[in-house]
Amino acid sequence: MTILQTRAFAAAIALTLMSTSFASGQSAASSDPTEGGKAVFKRANCVGCHKWHGNGGGGYGGDALSLRKTELTRDQIIETVACGRPSTGMPFFVRGAYESSTCFGMTRADVGPGMPPEGGTFLRPNDIEAVADYVLAHVKGKGEPNHDECLNFFGNASRVCDVYKAGTQLPANSTSTGSSSK
Amino acid sequence: MTNKVSYLPGRAALLATAAVITAFTLFPARAADTVTQERLLNSEKETGNWLHHHKNYSATRFSSLKEINKDNVKNLKVAWTMHLGGVEGGGIWSHGGLEGTPIVENGMMYVTDGWGSVYKIDARGGKGTLLWKMDPKTDHDWAGAVACCGVDNRGVALWGDLVISHTLDGRLIATNKETGQVAWQRQVADPDKGEVITGAPLIVKNMAITGVAGAEYGIRGWIAATDLTSQKEVWRTFTLPGKGEPGSETWKDDNKAAASGGGSTWVTGSYDPATDTIIWGVGNPGPDWDNQYRPGDNLYTDSSLALDSSTGKIKWHYQHTPNDPFDYDSVSENVLADVTGPNGVPLKLALEADRNGFAYAIDRSTGKFIWGLPFVKKVTWTKGLDPESGKPVEYDPKKTVQRYNAAVSPHRENKVADICPGNMGGKNWPPTAYNPDLKLWYIPVIESCNRITVEESVPEKLKPREFWTGGGPSQPFKITGSVTAIDVTSGKIAGKLETPFPNLGGILATPDLVFTGQPSGEVTALDGKSLQKLWEFNTGGGVNAPPITFSVDGKQYVAILVGLGGAWDKWFIDSTPELKNIQPGSMLYVFSL
Repeated sequence: MTILQTRAFAAAIALTLMSTSFASGQSAASSDPTEGGKAVFKRANCVGCHKWHGNGGGGYGGDALSLRKTELTRDQIIETVACGRPSTGMPFFVRGAYESSTCFGMTRADVGPGMPPEGGTFLRPNDIEAVADYVLAHVKGKGEPNHDECLNFFGNASRVCDVYKAGTQLPANSTSTGSSSK
Repeated sequence: MTNKVSYLPGRAALLATAAVITAFTLFPARAADTVTQERLLNSEKETGNWLHHHKNYSATRFSSLKEINKDNVKNLKVAWTMHLGGVEGGGIWSHGGLEGTPIVENGMMYVTDGWGSVYKIDARGGKGTLLWKMDPKTDHDWAGAVACCGVDNRGVALWGDLVISHTLDGRLIATNKETGQVAWQRQVADPDKGEVITGAPLIVKNMAITGVAGAEYGIRGWIAATDLTSQKEVWRTFTLPGKGEPGSETWKDDNKAAASGGGSTWVTGSYDPATDTIIWGVGNPGPDWDNQYRPGDNLYTDSSLALDSSTGKIKWHYQHTPNDPFDYDSVSENVLADVTGPNGVPLKLALEADRNGFAYAIDRSTGKFIWGLPFVKKVTWTKGLDPESGKPVEYDPKKTVQRYNAAVSPHRENKVADICPGNMGGKNWPPTAYNPDLKLWYIPVIESCNRITVEESVPEKLKPREFWTGGGPSQPFKITGSVTAIDVTSGKIAGKLETPFPNLGGILATPDLVFTGQPSGEVTALDGKSLQKLWEFNTGGGVNAPPITFSVDGKQYVAILVGLGGAWDKWFIDSTPELKNIQPGSMLYVFSL
């Protein structure tokens, strides 16, 4: 082994140990059957519009619906992910949607200019079921996002969840002096 | 090869250290490579270098190099290229892009990628050699989730023996120019509040001046100065007044709207040494499209600000779109130009091409309006500017909520409105260039309209790290672009070259040429007077960054970063469907004869 290979090997062992200890501290998370669905949620860039917490919301581009407040059933979520939503920015994620398979009973010709955009990745049926189960278990019906949910989503390698710690969820501003010399 | 020297253990480190010592012996740091205020003031004397983000303190992006000229530019070809990194996504972004301006000093080039890695490249000898890469390990999810408009970093500045840069997650970083080791760093902006940094620093008198992004996330904008010796903050000037401060009377609501009212400062400003004044543009008010939430003129949003460089105190301001309901930022760079006016009067101007579609010349000693004109083909939100004040003719200072052209303005009773220019503006951050010989000012234009849908804002919706926009845009209309030249002596349009796509990269001017690019991949050279296309090369990526020029070993080069990212391919792509074919990328192109 070269020095670099040795180092990489050591790093791999360290990583394994870290993830093992991390997992043992989070046994609930690691045994969660919707972990795979969470991975799809990340991989298919659902977060790009719905955000990690699923609340979506208006902003610079369109207005992604809140998956926390959604009333869609499992089957409806599966259909929406597979087919997108015509005339909105919600992409379709099944190869051949509106072509080899119809969506909402419609073909591409029926949808016309309302054809939804194509997702950045195509998902297999079991991926779509997994992401729907993840949304049902961890997103739909939940209230405001909290620190534990955020850590469950991102793990602990980023400061992204700090803002959800108790006491920090105040309006992000102050009205202190306009120009300060220090 | 990130900081390889410092992380290798044992024998490898010793060997690497020896290699560095050898390198120092071969290429000892020269006194000429120490950047001083004197050199920054006289950057135009270093004709082969590109020392400032905007080339000089006046932000002209004009180089006097003319080995490449209109007679021979047709022979321009690729000299060398280099693949860079930083394409990976984070937060709400699927990938990063390149918006940076390279800095070149004595044959050494410094560029950044979207996540703020700094690359030092030896550009001597007709080839490019990467000497080091400083990866700041930006917190992708923390920053990327609150970056409204892409994984962007617009470049570095040089000071002493340091390379000064920003990261999206709010840091100012000083890196040793020779070794690539981080000398020190300081958290300047706070992503927990929705603040990120995309702009390059401006160096003035041993201070790094930093602007902030986040007007779509309810920030209270600021411009901050950090002492580069003590590493401490010298001043921080908020762009929205605190309670009782001048300008606070222009926030007439009961919502404390000024505390989260935007006013970001994410484009590098300019500096007038004659008056020791920093001139810096301020972004839109928030919530962007619900101006009834924030009645009043909303100072100093959508304004150009003049600041005393030593204290940060505001000397004057000029506001372009009071109580803005359109997202018409005034973050653009102010170009400092001295011309003789129509009556033979010498004018010291600050030129700004605003998102609202109008180009403005302001007297930079007083902040008074001189002239303004539309530089886009289509403006619908106003019938024009008042010739005396420069305010939109519909502006009524007695009203607390402005309607402008009420038929097309978005507001709570007109929730879906089509506006021209669209909310990305007639010109966004991509920089203009000014040729002081021809007195022509070249604007990279987005010829656009788009649709705004208003959503009424209520205080309960204001949350840290969540969008605070009062609605959103959509793109039912095709968007194109142009390079538009303005004769600064007359304040009239001198020429317009229309382009199939919006100009998302910006402009470089040389004595008789203009260089620019297209998001569809082309880098082009135009005749500086006629704007006729003289040369074109397709990079195969999307141009989203401005070209520069430099010389080394007596030879002139043109350099440009290529990699479509930013706001366009997430938020605005439906207006340019052909650009969906442009793949993410990260590449440096360098051209020569």
